[in-house]
Amino acid sequence: MYTRRSINSVAIFLAVYLVQVMIFDQVHIPLGGFSIFLIFTLCWSALSTPEVGAIVGFFAGLLLDLAPASNGPLGQWALILSSIGFGIAFLRYGDDSLRSDPLSLVIFVAAAVVVAVTAYIGFNGLLGLEVGRTSQLIRTVIGNGLWTLAIAPFVLPVASRLHHAVFETREFQ
Amino acid sequence: MRYGGDNRSRLLFVTLIVTSLFLITLDLRGVSLVTGLRHSTQGVFGPVQRAASDAFSPVGNFFSDIAHLGRTRAQLKNLQEQNSQLRTALVQRKDIETQIKQLKSVLNLAGTGGYKIVSAKVISQGTSASFSQSITIDVGANAHVTRDMTVICGDGLVGVVKEVYSSTALVMLESDPSFRVGVRIAGSQEIGILTGQGTDRAIMQLLDTQSTVKVGDVLLARGSEGGKPFVPGVPVGTVTSVPNSAGQVSQLAEVQFFTHLHSLGIVSVVLTPPINDPRDALVPPKPIPTPIPTVTIYATPPLGTATPGATPTATPTPTTKK
Repeated sequence: MYTRRSINSVAIFLAVYLVQVMIFDQVHIPLGGFSIFLIFTLCWSALSTPEVGAIVGFFAGLLLDLAPASNGPLGQWALILSSIGFGIAFLRYGDDSLRSDPLSLVIFVAAAVVVAVTAYIGFNGLLGLEVGRTSQLIRTVIGNGLWTLAIAPFVLPVASRLHHAVFETREFQ
Repeated sequence: MRYGGDNRSRLLFVTLIVTSLFLITLDLRGVSLVTGLRHSTQGVFGPVQRAASDAFSPVGNFFSDIAHLGRTRAQLKNLQEQNSQLRTALVQRKDIETQIKQLKSVLNLAGTGGYKIVSAKVISQGTSASFSQSITIDVGANAHVTRDMTVICGDGLVGVVKEVYSSTALVMLESDPSFRVGVRIAGSQEIGILTGQGTDRAIMQLLDTQSTVKVGDVLLARGSEGGKPFVPGVPVGTVTSVPNSAGQVSQLAEVQFFTHLHSLGIVSVVLTPPINDPRDALVPPKPIPTPIPTVTIYATPPLGTATPGATPTATPTPTTKK
């Protein structure tokens, strides 16, 4: 049971990651663009228990760390996403008023994306890596948040159906 | 009801955090296992990314292009203007280079002949007024140019000043049908009269009925009294053909001008003639023949045989072609 869930989850995340790498990474999107993989991961975490949220965040972060375009050390995204995955699941799970309100979930995910991107930039700054101009960073963070607000309403139903199929939980409507 | 989490989930969370920090530390310390893991992942995703890039490259900048449509147009317009300016500058540069070359050439000729000159730019080719074959130059009375002064360029004679204005002058070209100049053949010093024909060729008539002229003879200006209208020694042209018709009183020859009258850019007006006649000093050097290697094949019979089945041997022999 546990193995089947894990295998299905890994397959789904790899598929989303491939979509990100093959399509969205090839298109130059204004305002810093967005990461469909990041949005999907945080949507998934928001629908899961804190344990699953943290584990999903960790392995999704590892995948991002191993991405060809990643310039930070291995484990950086894993640290950030496991923390945020745990946090978003901790705040969301069992909150029936929020679970029944898709708009708040979208806003929650958008806020989580902003926090994740900001944390990644901040971490890079702490490690002394090149992070770019402040104006560009602000534009990227805000752009990611706005794009997530626009994209998440389409990603959330897909993530919810897949999450339900894997964990056989109540599907988000 | 909010899920508060239990000790197990907190322990898992802390374990993941510690693992992440451990991985970061390993990577920053340059552990080869972590580096190898990243390289192998990139080896897997690299071809996928390349294939995707090839497939999506036509639409890759679609969103960016839409977002920056106005800016792109302005940039395109700016680049087009820059391109146009650069093309103009390139043409001007080529023109200036040609003028410099012509100026150097005419200065060289004037220096060798001992002429005192003033250089001028051709500002107009031809006029509808008096002369069918003429040019206008940008020097005039202000540069002490007067009527009947010889005009030369790097290749030789151009014509003679016919009208002078304050800052311009009109020059009758040597190709004008009414143009006549006394010439002498370099070397033999035979003299004749050269008449323009309206083309890049002229007719020379020898004054002495006993004199002969042959193809390839170089003609130089004989010079006039006081250097006006012609200074001596200026190259005029070369004989290209000698018609041999019976009954002619004097010998005629067709002459090709040295000067390319259709591509004049910089010319010089000879203000004062040389103190000494340069004689044949300004005769253009003959072109140096370019050697062209040819191959001569000798048929050498094999040793001990006298049969016709000889093996040809190629031996290069340098020859010259004029």
